Amino acid sequence: MDQEIFSADNLQSPLVCLKNVGKDFPVASTGLGHLQTIWSLLTGRGDYARFRALRGVDLEIYTGQSLGLIGENGAGKTTLLKIVAGVIKPSIGKVEINCRVGALLELGAGFHPEYTGRENIYLTAALMGMTKSDIADNISSIIDFADIGEHIDKQIKHYSSGMFIRLGFAIITALRPDILITDEVLAVGDESFQKKCIKWMESYLSDGGTLMLCSHSMYHINKVCHKALWLHRGQPRLYGDSSDVTREYLAHFEEKNSKAEEYKSHNVTHEKNADEKYAIQELWLEDQDRNHVSNVTNGKDVYVCGIAYSPDQRIPVVAVGVLRSDGTPIYGISTEVDRFQPNELGTNSFGFTLHFKRFPLLPGKYLIRAHAMDPEGMRLFDPMECTLVVLGQTREIGLCYIKHAWLPGKRAHS
Amino acid sequence: MKVTELWRFRWLFLNLLIREIRNRYVGSLSGIFSIIFNPLALLAIYAFVFATILRIKFPALVEYNFTVFLALALWPWLAFQEGTQRGTLSIQSNGNLVKKVAFPHELLVYSAVTATYIVHLGGFLLVLLALVLFGSAINLLALPLVISILGVQFLFTLGLALALAAMQVLIKDTEQYLSPVFMIWFYATPILYPASLVPASMHQVIMLNPMAYFTGRIRDLLLYKNCQFGLVDAAEIAGTVVFFLLARLFFNRLSPHFEDFL
Repeated sequence: MDQEIFSADNLQSPLVCLKNVGKDFPVASTGLGHLQTIWSLLTGRGDYARFRALRGVDLEIYTGQSLGLIGENGAGKTTLLKIVAGVIKPSIGKVEINCRVGALLELGAGFHPEYTGRENIYLTAALMGMTKSDIADNISSIIDFADIGEHIDKQIKHYSSGMFIRLGFAIITALRPDILITDEVLAVGDESFQKKCIKWMESYLSDGGTLMLCSHSMYHINKVCHKALWLHRGQPRLYGDSSDVTREYLAHFEEKNSKAEEYKSHNVTHEKNADEKYAIQELWLEDQDRNHVSNVTNGKDVYVCGIAYSPDQRIPVVAVGVLRSDGTPIYGISTEVDRFQPNELGTNSFGFTLHFKRFPLLPGKYLIRAHAMDPEGMRLFDPMECTLVVLGQTREIGLCYIKHAWLPGKRAHS
Repeated sequence: MKVTELWRFRWLFLNLLIREIRNRYVGSLSGIFSIIFNPLALLAIYAFVFATILRIKFPALVEYNFTVFLALALWPWLAFQEGTQRGTLSIQSNGNLVKKVAFPHELLVYSAVTATYIVHLGGFLLVLLALVLFGSAINLLALPLVISILGVQFLFTLGLALALAAMQVLIKDTEQYLSPVFMIWFYATPILYPASLVPASMHQVIMLNPMAYFTGRIRDLLLYKNCQFGLVDAAEIAGTVVFFLLARLFFNRLSPHFEDFL
């Protein structure tokens, strides 16, 4: 039935259309207050004590135009996802959904521990609106994707958490929704399964699939989403191209952070990550004479040096960014883009040095931020930062020196 | 949601129903206990107390065995009571599903109640068979009509469970009041005694209770071989349908808000 609505003119009509949507949650009440709440819910008068979780969201999502939701915890991202997923009804406004929605608010939400994996596939797929014949057609591909061997016929309660997640993701791959709603980037399980997830996601997106996801990773939002919506305290703050929105968001966040705490100094060593993630362990700056410094003079050479930790001995990808102290990015580059490979310094650790010739930033306070990533460059882990103060005397204005020359003038159109 | 839209979810309903039956009755000792031993034990203790100890002889029942008389109403009552209780808790106990997946919540109530009815109907049929084998004069020809009456009672149970399930989500202690209410309801319904013994002045009040109608009608058909249908039956059936529709309306009005309260 969805197919009929979602027909020839799908390029024009949005998959999802929200108009002035808002959501209130009732505040817990006791005794008679409770009965009153029920009464106002029944009559739809809405005069109960409530908390405003979301207000004034207008949104249109078109085929192939993935949307990222960003915002701090409690900004209403999950509430908005749940509204589009149909799990909750908005208190005000209009929601129009013209396609098949696949919502993955939690992997394995419908699983029953006493059942075997195979039986759980049937139940979960039915919950997602698949029919018996749909499931029968897809069950072998689901089992292949999950790739958990004979465990598929064992009770879920004996599964490891990784197997649980594999099965949950595998069911989604069979659903192939027009729009996929998810609470985080779907890279789950062990290394090899994560690659499988990413590969599936890429093929889903390149086949015209649409994604709506909320994430705290601006890198992922930029990578997979075309548009982004920034929610702030339940209200949309900025909507537009994902690169613009994420930049503004980061700038806002950096500003807020900088007021709250001093930046880490350059020689702080990150404690070795307990959960075995790629990470930058050390980051420091050197001047043209290769001395440790935190101040450099503008126009002189600067070396950004660091050590990256790789949990599995594979060569990590390192990204280094130069930011204004409010968080506005000025320049960023990664070893992947330049096809450089950090050299091995010892077990699990890799070194790199980034040489900026005649550092062109004008005097001021800047941030150097470094990330380590897995070799696929997909998963971004916590960055390490150090401040960089550029000294110097100049009357130039702005951030950055641009190579230039003044020439004699001439008449226009002569 | 319209009933026609619900049809789209038939496969999901079937899955939920199978899940419900398997969870509760298959492979667990307590499940088997609740199907067979629990009703039989109840039947035995009531028969023992009323027929052996108290030696109660109902004048209306001289030609019938008290145990048979009781058994015919006990199973339908147990299906009703257990179905309502299970249905009441069905939304709350599947809270994780309601919070994470979009689907018609009423299906959870339907599957809980249906599972109980299927299981107790099975038990009821076995008991009828046993009674016939032991030589009781039971009118098995009326069985299709009995099942129709049970169907109406099932609809009544669904309605009550829908209303209570919605209440349970919003008011967490609803379920705690159910046990005493069912206890009173059980004794107020002519199950342990024939309706004809109720004083004439209270007869009207007792017959307002739909369960009195259902259990009474089932005994009528099986024991007294009275297969006449009349105006009362039509009114009870129509009343049940209206009740169910109102309860469903109540449930579906509140169901979009369940997520906020779970």
